[in-house]
Amino acid sequence: MRGLVEEFAANAAAIGFHVHRGEGPEIDGAGVSTALYGLADTGSVVLASSVDEPRARSLLPDVHVSLLRQNRILPGLEELFEALGSELPSALAIVTGPSRSADIEQKLAVGVHGPREVHVVLLPPA
Amino acid sequence: MPELAQPPARFREIARGKLLDAHVQGALDLSTGRLRSHRLEAWSALPDVEALRERAHAIRMEVIDDLEGHVARFTEALEARGGHVYFARTAAEASAYVAEVCRRRGAKLAAKSKSMASEEIGLNEALAAVGVQPVETDLGEYILQLAGEHPVHIVAPAIEKTAADVAELFSRVRGEQVPAELEALTLAARAQLRETFLQADVGITGVNFGVSATGSICICTNEGNGRLVSSVPPVHVAVMGMERLVPTTADLAVLLRLLARSGTGQKLTVYTTLITGPRLPGEHDGPEELHVVILDNGRTNLLRGRYREMLACIRCGACLNVCPVYRRTGGAAYGPVYSGPMGAVLLPLLVGLDRAPSLPHASSLCGACTEACPVKIPLHELLLDLRRDLVEERVAPWFERAVFALWSLAWSSVAGYRLTTRLARLGQPLAGLVGPGRAWASGRRLPRLRPRYRDRR
Repeated sequence: MRGLVEEFAANAAAIGFHVHRGEGPEIDGAGVSTALYGLADTGSVVLASSVDEPRARSLLPDVHVSLLRQNRILPGLEELFEALGSELPSALAIVTGPSRSADIEQKLAVGVHGPREVHVVLLPPA
Repeated sequence: MPELAQPPARFREIARGKLLDAHVQGALDLSTGRLRSHRLEAWSALPDVEALRERAHAIRMEVIDDLEGHVARFTEALEARGGHVYFARTAAEASAYVAEVCRRRGAKLAAKSKSMASEEIGLNEALAAVGVQPVETDLGEYILQLAGEHPVHIVAPAIEKTAADVAELFSRVRGEQVPAELEALTLAARAQLRETFLQADVGITGVNFGVSATGSICICTNEGNGRLVSSVPPVHVAVMGMERLVPTTADLAVLLRLLARSGTGQKLTVYTTLITGPRLPGEHDGPEELHVVILDNGRTNLLRGRYREMLACIRCGACLNVCPVYRRTGGAAYGPVYSGPMGAVLLPLLVGLDRAPSLPHASSLCGACTEACPVKIPLHELLLDLRRDLVEERVAPWFERAVFALWSLAWSSVAGYRLTTRLARLGQPLAGLVGPGRAWASGRRLPRLRPRYRDRR
């Protein structure tokens, strides 16, 4: 598990997530989500819509804080779909970085429509 | 409906204009060059990209081999989750269905995320005609909508626009000067479109992949507009080309590993959303109604022939970025929707060869497109096959067919070959002045034929 956590942390930082361990930042107005899974090889957080996890929380605020238990980190997409099986939520979002666009001159702009800042807080296994 | 037919004169006229425009040439070079090198970098980081491409090809062909069955399974699975599925045989049927959903809901404003299928059916025009205002929310598409133009690249639609062009458009809309700086432009678009997301009566998206086994649709956007459009408005309508299906979520994983890497060089698109039905009871947001419009519009005609492999296309745009023709002419020459090698193959198949006869010739047959295709479609071979059809179906002009028949006859014998080389040397001084030689020599120099070996000193 340790290897997966380190791989996740490195890849998450590479795509522009702020990675924290144990304790998250206190940011006014941030939307807080609990990630269903994390994907080590892409650094993604996987969010499943449910009664407790509305879609807008990770979508409308400028800053998104996602809480992820270390034991919920999977190697990659294949393992994610295997773990989910046929139990799919109404909306599953695999989020891999802050909102971005390269539509103007192929130059990277961050924070187009979704959150411009994403924090992932790694929590000890439940 | 957008005119997908592209007469040769229009192709030539637009291409010539773009070739003479240094601004466009620079933008095309820079952008396609970047996209291409990002893809190569991402591919080289994969452990076995060839095996992955083979698998992706096999998955896509499995669906095409039983497309009817997959459409039926997808429909059944999505309906079981409370979604509505409508199968549209034509562009007009698809647009009419979406317009009817809007009418029933009393919709006035529709927020759209980028969808080439909706461009293909001319959905914006159809909605405007029934009093619904469609607003494009993808930054590139939004820019083009303000400019009143069509996309010129299937992934980076506003590839020919500079920050200065965009600043001018945004300043007009906001009624104040927006500086030509990336951050200011992004903020202006965010502010302008946020209201659209919140007020829209209907959200309209395309579909990157549908999953037959689960009835799910997968939508990939970097900006997050796809997720907003499918989450915030009370109704979500998705327009999906009927060939977009994959059998299972395990197969989806394979294609997702290739899609973003091939399009922009990312491992995954920032927001990869898998939607399975409308919101569930008790959920606080998400659409109350989900409609998926499955679009045929000529695709079933491709199913049985040798062009069926074209249906495997996942619209990543990799073939555009490497094509020596696209990189000079840009996308508009191909027409208002699809462009580059994938467009040059697909458009004549959708609208009929006689209505887009110059497109199979918009290729040097170098094979760069085939090499770049993540699902291994033999694009340049299909273009060559289409050229053969142009001749066999007598779409090519009689003069062209006669010249090639004579050429073939002449080079079938040694004497004939010698005769042509002799004539060529004699006619050489005139070659750049008349006929096809003149067109060829405008912009470049005709090479000189070398003297015969025995005449060399």
